[in-house]
Amino acid sequence: MTPGPSLLKATKVGCRMIEIYHLYKQYSRDVVALRDINLVIDRGEFAFIVGSSGAGKSTLLKLFLQEIKPSRGSIKIFGRDLSRLKSREVPYLRRNIGMVFQDFRLLEDRNVYENVSFSMRVTGVPIREIRKRVPLTLELVGLKDKAFKKPDELSGGEKQRICLARAIINRPAMVIADEPTGNLDPVTAMEILNLLHEINIRGTTVIVATHAQELVDRMKKRVIVLDQGRIISDQERGVYINAR
Amino acid sequence: MHVRSLLYFFGEALKSVIHHGWMSIASIAVVSITLLILGSFIVINYNVSLLTEDIKEQVQIVVYIDEEANVRTLRELQRALTDHPELEEVRFVSKEEAMERLKRQMGDRAFLLEGYEEEDKNPLRDSYELRTTVPEDIIRVAHTVQDYPGVGYVDYGSGVVEPLFQFTGVIRWIGLLFMAGLAITAVFLISHTIRLTVYIRRKEIMIMKYVGATDWFIRWPFIFEGLILGLMGAVVPLVIIFYSYQGATQWMSGNIYFISLLPVEEIMPQLLNLLLSLGVVLGVLGSAISVRKFLKV
Ligand SMILES: Nc1ncnc2c1ncn2[C@@H]1O[C@H](COP(=O)(O)OP(=O)(O)O)[C@@H](O)[C@H]1O
Ligand SMILES: [Mg+2]
Repeated sequence: MTPGPSLLKATKVGCRMIEIYHLYKQYSRDVVALRDINLVIDRGEFAFIVGSSGAGKSTLLKLFLQEIKPSRGSIKIFGRDLSRLKSREVPYLRRNIGMVFQDFRLLEDRNVYENVSFSMRVTGVPIREIRKRVPLTLELVGLKDKAFKKPDELSGGEKQRICLARAIINRPAMVIADEPTGNLDPVTAMEILNLLHEINIRGTTVIVATHAQELVDRMKKRVIVLDQGRIISDQERGVYINAR
Repeated sequence: MHVRSLLYFFGEALKSVIHHGWMSIASIAVVSITLLILGSFIVINYNVSLLTEDIKEQVQIVVYIDEEANVRTLRELQRALTDHPELEEVRFVSKEEAMERLKRQMGDRAFLLEGYEEEDKNPLRDSYELRTTVPEDIIRVAHTVQDYPGVGYVDYGSGVVEPLFQFTGVIRWIGLLFMAGLAITAVFLISHTIRLTVYIRRKEIMIMKYVGATDWFIRWPFIFEGLILGLMGAVVPLVIIFYSYQGATQWMSGNIYFISLLPVEEIMPQLLNLLLSLGVVLGVLGSAISVRKFLKV
């Protein structure tokens, strides 16, 4: 794996993972998804981004990944200004960010091992390294015995664990999860959040977008509340605040 | 590019070729047909041009000398012809020599020429026989020579030569157009197959982007897929042409011994290079189109 040298240096030295100033995202004339967002997330933090459906959570996460571009304002990730990032540097940015999705986005025709090793294979990690790291990661997420099962033989919670394993196997500086518990029952959801917490304790910055109020309140982490594209509250050890 | 990545791209491409069996076969078939026609065309063209070269070699200009011209004019004419840059061969044929030839041509009926043989009764004229370096120049050169001093009249087989050259020209153009049409079809079909692959693998491509695969890493397997289709499409006609041409040369040498075909060893190396590189070009072009249009990376 060859992360962009400048990005790698930034992750080691800087303590700011994300810095956002006066950020706006407008999809069309009537749809303004984000308005005047100011936000700093430090290295090693665990932060929830909460808000009802349509509040702008996914839009914000997509901006981190450089999947979409802001209409106005600046975003710095690992100290790098994304507006100055060349398009060929974007893949190296993403290697430092693990993504977890509500709908898992697994390859149904491949087993757990192949799904997890996928992110290493397509970023050019040597086979030796893959053979060493996949079992360790599977053990971490509790899927050691399911390595050769296909996703459709597994439960929702197990699928989400695959997705998590795939996100962390390249040892990213940051894991971003968009509604990771949206398709799970409360107990399984809590397990996934605990797993994310464990990953966070091992030093990875974790950002979770969700509208699961109860779970957020139980975790006692930083909570950033979005409402109609604005941040209306941002508290350490906070709780989910309903806008209306 | 690492060997590891190369193997990965090739493996992915091969998997996908096998996975889309029928689409792949259709693409390979069209490339094969295109290249088979092109290959046959080239093989036939080689042999035909060998024959037509013979025919073309035989076309010549005959310049009959004006009987009234004086010795000085004749000498000037000789110099003008021998100095002409486009003429490869200039041969003087005296009227005595012409009479000898005529006699030979008439064979048993040569007795009819009796009485015309003496110097002053010979009705034939002195002439020059000219051959141009480029056969197709013959018409133009004939017209220039017409105006030289001391020239009676010029004969170059007009009415026969023009259609011959026109015909070979037309055949070549029709062939080229036909080939171009087929090549476009082949590129289109390959790009369609690749497009299908891109579509089937859209989820995989999306995940690759999320986990930070580079754009080229995502593109290469598709380029390789096109390459495989193109190369396989080239191998098929090569095999067919090799065996059928070998058969044809053997049959010809046994049955139509007066026409000899170029030996298969002489034709194959060139054909191999040409068809394989064309296969590569068609395949890569086809996939490049799809990768550009449908692979948003
Ligand atoms: N690609 C898009 N084009 C246009 N509008 C969009 C697009 N994506 C999201 N939106 C709009 O932006 C707003 C925020 O959406 P989103 O970020 O998905 O919210 P959340 O993830 O909090 O539910 C919504 O009004 C949504 O309709
Ligand atoms: Mg969303």
